[in-house]
Amino acid sequence: MSIIEKFIQAAPLPNSWIDNWKRDGKKVLGYFCTYIPDEIIYAADILPIRIRARQCSDTPVGDAYMSSTTCSFTRCCLEAADRKQLNFLDGIISCNSCDQIRRLYDNIRYKAPFPFHYFLSVPANVNEVTIEWYKHEVGKFKKQIEKEFKVKITDDKLGHAIQIYNESRRLLKKLYLLRQRETPHFTGTDVMNILLASVSIPKEYFNNLLSQQIEEAENNEGISDYRARIMVVGSLLDNPQYIKIIEDLGGLVVTDSLCFGTRSFWDLVEESHSPLDALAQRYLSKISCPRMTDGHLSRKQFILDLIKEFYVDGVIFQRMKFCPYWWGEIFMLRRELKELGVPFIDLEREYILGGIGQMKTRIQAFLEVLE
Amino acid sequence: MIKIEEDWYKNYKKIAREKWGSEFTLWKAMFRGFIDMMREEAIKQGKENEPINPFSKMLLDVFIDVARARKKGKQIIMYPFNYGPELFHAMNLEPLMQEMFSVGLAPFHINEHYLDITNEIGYGDNPTLCNAQRPLIGSYIEKAAPIPDLLFFLSTPCNSLATTYQVFQHLTGVPTYTIDIPYWSHSPDSTFYDEKTLEYVIKQLKKLVVWLENQTHQKLDEEKFKQTMVWLNQARANVLEFNELLRAVPCPARSIEGFGNYLAMVLRGGTKAAVEATKWLRDNAASNVKNKIGGVPDEKIRIAWPYTHVFFDNELLPWLEENFNAVVIMDILGYYHVPPHDTSTIEKCFESLAKGTLDFSMIGTCRGPIEFYIDYVIRFVKDYKIDCVIMPMQFACKHAYAMARITSEEVRNQTGIPTMIFGCDPYDSREVSSEEIRGKIADFLTEIVL
Ligand code: SF4
Ligand code: SF4
Repeated sequence: MSIIEKFIQAAPLPNSWIDNWKRDGKKVLGYFCTYIPDEIIYAADILPIRIRARQCSDTPVGDAYMSSTTCSFTRCCLEAADRKQLNFLDGIISCNSCDQIRRLYDNIRYKAPFPFHYFLSVPANVNEVTIEWYKHEVGKFKKQIEKEFKVKITDDKLGHAIQIYNESRRLLKKLYLLRQRETPHFTGTDVMNILLASVSIPKEYFNNLLSQQIEEAENNEGISDYRARIMVVGSLLDNPQYIKIIEDLGGLVVTDSLCFGTRSFWDLVEESHSPLDALAQRYLSKISCPRMTDGHLSRKQFILDLIKEFYVDGVIFQRMKFCPYWWGEIFMLRRELKELGVPFIDLEREYILGGIGQMKTRIQAFLEVLE
Repeated sequence: MIKIEEDWYKNYKKIAREKWGSEFTLWKAMFRGFIDMMREEAIKQGKENEPINPFSKMLLDVFIDVARARKKGKQIIMYPFNYGPELFHAMNLEPLMQEMFSVGLAPFHINEHYLDITNEIGYGDNPTLCNAQRPLIGSYIEKAAPIPDLLFFLSTPCNSLATTYQVFQHLTGVPTYTIDIPYWSHSPDSTFYDEKTLEYVIKQLKKLVVWLENQTHQKLDEEKFKQTMVWLNQARANVLEFNELLRAVPCPARSIEGFGNYLAMVLRGGTKAAVEATKWLRDNAASNVKNKIGGVPDEKIRIAWPYTHVFFDNELLPWLEENFNAVVIMDILGYYHVPPHDTSTIEKCFESLAKGTLDFSMIGTCRGPIEFYIDYVIRFVKDYKIDCVIMPMQFACKHAYAMARITSEEVRNQTGIPTMIFGCDPYDSREVSSEEIRGKIADFLTEIVL
């Protein structure tokens, strides 16, 4: 089996790594957002998994309880919990990522509870007062994990988890840098599978696999038969199929600003500081998502830097239907990119991929403009 | 001529003829509409020979103050519907509550035009972004509303608000400050907020003061701040008493009166005018309780309405009162419930400010887990002898809509009281019409409640 095939196997939930982990009698916790410091879970020898609900095909319970005008990701997650498709989890961790996610947490607790639930209050802006608050929240979270799972998370263990996580981030960045080349070594579809694996299997295994993958790729010829270099920007995209549609039409996704993508790994945790300080600092001031009320200008700059560094020809905004944050963010970005002459298209989507024909037509037209 | 004509009506009409500048077009349209509505109401109530009441005066003066602030060179600060303006008053700023536009223009069906413009420029749609804020973008494009000198907002109660305020800032470049309201003080000993939460909000409010000082080139006048907080807490005490009086059967107030308290606190909190307006509402309710007079004659149904009013249909509540002898005892904004606090020192004043920020209408109930909201509704149902709960959920209000079903199940399980949920857009009559809403409510009341 090639390494990329292993990543493809590791991408869905659950997978054989999770099964093996559980077979050893160890716990698995699911979390919802990049603002949750999963190092703490890992330091407790518990496997943190980023929750998705890709098996979702319809959402009667989600519609009834979350309302049919909330984003379909959250409706699908409630549905998956209600259908016991997430029962391999020993608990869930959530935070106030967005209104939908915070109410998803409530609905899950009432409709489809897990043995353990925890919620972190993550500030929506960054300054010394909010970082201090978040440090306190992260500290409480650590204590609760210790209490619930009867473990001691020492500074050494946490420091070690931070090192492993940083290693993962460094490797992912290295992988991305290989995509800067004129003949990038990976398709965006492969990278999406790698990213999904990064939040679905133990980090040590992942780092090992990724090191091998990078080494192998460095000796290969890259991809040259593409029509345009694409950057994908938006919220949570966890579906390789979406990227594949773009790439089957001749676009090559070379970078992104996505929840599962750059925004999850670009910034490191400072290893020389006390672990809790470093985690609070990193998670609050990392490349933000639009939940942060004061971060638009730095997010814009981040996107512009990537456009330059990855020689991007055009940007595809993927916007989840009914998501307020991303509508606002993309509205502002559209105006800004237009002023700078960067071509883009804005594609609204549902979590359950539909309307593929129309999507293909629009991407096709976009690629023609870029050529 | 009836006295009202000579007294206040003529006077306000004269002010409405002053030149306010084109940026105040919508503001003046609302002012005019409100003067006429108040006149009609006074005549309907047989009060045409009485001077203007303190509440109506307070409300009409808000329009005049904001319009005149520009001329006087007083800085205008825009802020959202879930924050009190007391600090702004203390710092000699003119507070302009943004949602005054969407709420105030809804009964005149003026929002619709600005929503169409907002749609045309590609900013959002109704189920995604709330129309309490979206008309702001359309009115900015048409230059029909003033651009404030400063902008302030909070991270709660919703993403929609925070998003549209950011977009407005992006379009206008207005200097902006935001504070974070913690979602949940997840302390096992805390029922609502613990010391840590309070300290967190106080620290942020102090930073806000520094920011305001820099923006306005003036220092916070501590004496003025203290006086503001004294008035604020006097008004809070009045509102609290009013809320207690609503327990009486029959309810001593009409359905809309609680919302009057909210307007006093959100528009003029920290001023003498708000103290007088809330005192007037409280005194009326107290006198009715004493005389066993119901706000609605022959009261039959007591309704809890734990969400906002349907603002475009200002005849909906009178319709309920007249056709069903039903009184809406509480709505989520109108049930402003902040106890008065100690204001003896500046530190205490900040503490009082922070507690009010955390407890403000909608923030208090919606900034935490669903239990905050469920407990609030159930407590209300029990304390106020409620017969049914009506939840008119706004399509775009994700945090609220996604709580409705579980809340209604819990209310039914714990109290046996019937509940109804329906979707609508309180700001845009084209989404779900008055007729449809009334039809649904009538069916519910006749088939299930009565
Ligand atoms: S897509 Fe938007 S609404 Fe949905 S979970 Fe993400 S941020 Fe929340
Ligand atoms: S109605 Fe709901 S979505 Fe709209 S501003 Fe209020 S809290 Fe936000």
